[in-house]
Amino acid sequence: MKKLGLLILSGFTLMLSGCSGINVLDPKSSTGKDQAYLIWLSLGIMALVLIVVFILFAYFVYKYRYSEARKDYEPVDVEGNRKLELTYTIIPVILLIILAVPTVRITMEQSPDTSASQKPEDGTTKIEVTGRQFEWEFKHENGASVKDELVLPEDEDIEFNLHSEDLIHSFWIPELAGKVDVFPNKELNYVIRDVERGEYEGKCAEFCGVQHTNMTFSVKVIGKEDYKAYINDLK
Amino acid sequence: MEISIFGFSISAPSDVIAAWISTVIMGGIITFYVVKTNKFPLIWSYLRTTNHRKIGTLYILFGFLFFSRAGLDALLIRLQLAVPNNEFWLFQFEKYDQLFTTHGTMMIFFAAMPMLLGLMNIVVPLQIGARDLAFPFLNAVGFWLFFAGALIFNFSFFLNSAPGIGWTGYAPLSTSIFTPDVNSDYYVFGVQVSGLGTIFTALNLIVTIIRHRAPGMKWFRMPLFTWATFVTAIMILLAFTVLAIALYLLMFDRMFGTKFFSGPDGDPVYWQHLFWIFGHPEVYILALPAFGIFSDIIPTFSGKRIFGYSAMVFSIVLIGFLSFTVWAHHMLTVGLGPLLNTFFAITTMTIAVPTGIKIFNWLFTLQGGLIRFTVPMLFSLGFIPSFVMGGVTGVMLSVSAADFQFHDSQFVVAHFHYVILASTILGIFAGIYYYYPKMMGLRLDETLGKWHFWLFLIGYHLTFFPMHITGLNGMPRRVFTYDPGDGLTVTNFMSTIGAFLMGAGILFFFWNIFKTHRENEPVSDDPWNGRTLEWTVPSPSPEETFDPMPVVEGMDPLWIVKKEGREMRTTTDHRSTPIARDSILPVLMALSLAALTFCMIYQWFIASAIFAVGLFALFIVRSFTDEKKEHYGKGEAS
Ligand code: HEM
Ligand SMILES: [Cu+2]
Ligand SMILES: [Cu+2]
Repeated sequence: MKKLGLLILSGFTLMLSGCSGINVLDPKSSTGKDQAYLIWLSLGIMALVLIVVFILFAYFVYKYRYSEARKDYEPVDVEGNRKLELTYTIIPVILLIILAVPTVRITMEQSPDTSASQKPEDGTTKIEVTGRQFEWEFKHENGASVKDELVLPEDEDIEFNLHSEDLIHSFWIPELAGKVDVFPNKELNYVIRDVERGEYEGKCAEFCGVQHTNMTFSVKVIGKEDYKAYINDLK
Repeated sequence: MEISIFGFSISAPSDVIAAWISTVIMGGIITFYVVKTNKFPLIWSYLRTTNHRKIGTLYILFGFLFFSRAGLDALLIRLQLAVPNNEFWLFQFEKYDQLFTTHGTMMIFFAAMPMLLGLMNIVVPLQIGARDLAFPFLNAVGFWLFFAGALIFNFSFFLNSAPGIGWTGYAPLSTSIFTPDVNSDYYVFGVQVSGLGTIFTALNLIVTIIRHRAPGMKWFRMPLFTWATFVTAIMILLAFTVLAIALYLLMFDRMFGTKFFSGPDGDPVYWQHLFWIFGHPEVYILALPAFGIFSDIIPTFSGKRIFGYSAMVFSIVLIGFLSFTVWAHHMLTVGLGPLLNTFFAITTMTIAVPTGIKIFNWLFTLQGGLIRFTVPMLFSLGFIPSFVMGGVTGVMLSVSAADFQFHDSQFVVAHFHYVILASTILGIFAGIYYYYPKMMGLRLDETLGKWHFWLFLIGYHLTFFPMHITGLNGMPRRVFTYDPGDGLTVTNFMSTIGAFLMGAGILFFFWNIFKTHRENEPVSDDPWNGRTLEWTVPSPSPEETFDPMPVVEGMDPLWIVKKEGREMRTTTDHRSTPIARDSILPVLMALSLAALTFCMIYQWFIASAIFAVGLFALFIVRSFTDEKKEHYGKGEAS
């Protein structure tokens, strides 16, 4: 039992620390980096709890196990212990507050909503995203639109205005940042900041029918000048 | 595949044909066995029974049957996902969609729920000194409605019309615009009918616990499984009603042209709200009874009372309450706006606190005890670290902005299997091993039980631990394949191996049951050195229990008298007890409702009206055969 606990724990740390190659933990935008920070923070805080529980568990199970030597031992009934119980009520509350503060800050900043910014600010590129069974269409600011291939300028903030022509899809580029659902009856806006140069894969994350698995698209982040040339060529 | 029988030619996919053939063969074997050993009287008695132990046993029997079916689906899912770009049998595209939909729906509604309700049925009356549930007839109706719902749902597959909309049935995919065929109707009606039975049983449990406790069994002397059942039953009453309404509206959208969940006035997000107002409490409806089982098993095999009893009760109640305040954490990516996303993140985090209290109280119950590693105890011990790992990812998911990454990925699949399997499934197995003496008068084999436990536990971690990584590497849920270049191959393959280890564990469980019944060695009333009332009645528990009625003198009443080396005091002065009388009406009612529903699915409205009349006629028959008639108006008759 004890061995199992240790095994799981070491597996846990090994797999996560050894794998900085994991997409979501190594994202290529500052929006995604904030999210990865929250993931690491919450994992770190929760790992504390996990370690305490595992150690207590292994220790108690080992120490108080039935054995020939202890077979006549008569356990004493303990009703409880107010102080102890308060301790493990209050400490988790404190840990959760520590986690809640950055959660609130980043969530308030990043949550998708329904109000689009009217005029794009400097450094922001707008992309209109349309989802339909089973393809994606991306319309750039100059009106040019492309299917299943999304090209973006590097180091810009990208504002996606998303809507669907049939049912609910979900727009997700794991290597860049988190997902946002795409609805038929409303337009949602989601901003991914400071995207970095590279090639990524985008997917549909909301089950939308038979070809859901194949509702993927390719993402290329290229230099700003190249981007301008690219959208002009599309026209 | 095309087959022609007697000149008719039927075309059906090979998996459906395989299912028909194996069902016919199994049916043949069972019929042969029944005829040969003349089990007809036994079957007839179970069809008519209203006894809580027998109904509980039926719940567990059929729950386990559907668990096996849904488990088979899980293995097929894992085979399809074992390697990249796989084409296993025909489980791609809609066949894969049907697999995960059946797997999820059956596991939740037709496996986990009934097995828990079965344990509640068997154990709660014995724990509180009740002779039966408050309304034995209604109890039978509740069970047979669950059975009817499960039958309807299962039937869809045999007609090659299994639903493929996920267990969450999200609109607008589930509306007739996108899935006009009967497949989705099977989902709507199957879940609706069994949900009705669940509501009845919940009502029954609430009244039983309020009204039929033995003299001296005060609220704060009740065993924790009874407490958990009480809170769970109240939650069922609230949550399943919401589900019933949601399904009802969806039925109207599908069949009668309303537009609650689409169009200019409707909104698909309404469905998500309704579903998760049911769905989140549901996961605690599955977890709390399991917590209760562990809270009774751990003290028994530690040889000391539960640590912090009142905190345990308080946290059950608090979890029950909070579970109704967090539903939108399943909807953080639908654009509810920053304020709501933050609000639901915080409410979700708070649930971790009472849950943590419970974990530490279990740990400190172990401290200073004398821990006996019996099979029920092993399952309970395996639960603690495993569940905490699921709890950890739960808190991580509550961090809204991080959830934009986790949501609808394999990470979420890993998380909810971690919590549901650790609590509900390990809890059910712990409960079955622990209470098998009360159910059957036999004790399951300990050695085979240990094989079952270790294979299952190791397989469980091997399946679901790597799945976290799969998700963080960007694999969505509900997809049937991935590319070799996606970096998902290794972890997926590990998951598949783990799933088969779990399957092997279940085979040991089958073998164990077979062996135990073959050897047929009767067991004593109190084989585990128990602490509570259920260990004072014979094994298996007879239909007339607690005669004379025991007087409860504190928490762990049996332990008290054991320590003082005396018998339990008894009394004849107690509340009137439930009146149970066998009846075939519950089965008939459920069957006519099933027939009615079946006709509704195919929109044969005249036929369904006829069955409705039949059902109504059965109500009238029932009102003339009410076994309590002689007692009405006479107050507290005993
Ligand atoms: C016994 C071993 C089990 C294995 C190997 C297993 C495997 C899986 C897998 C791989 C999926 C994801 C399918 C996909 O997203 O494409 C899944 C989904 C699911 N499983 Fe399990 N599972 C098991 C047991 C259970 C149990 C015991 C429950 C609940 C009591 C359960 C409930 C669910 C639910 C609700 C879904 C979601 C279905 C959906 O997306 O609509 N599973 N399972
Ligand atoms: Cu999709
Ligand atoms: Cu939830």
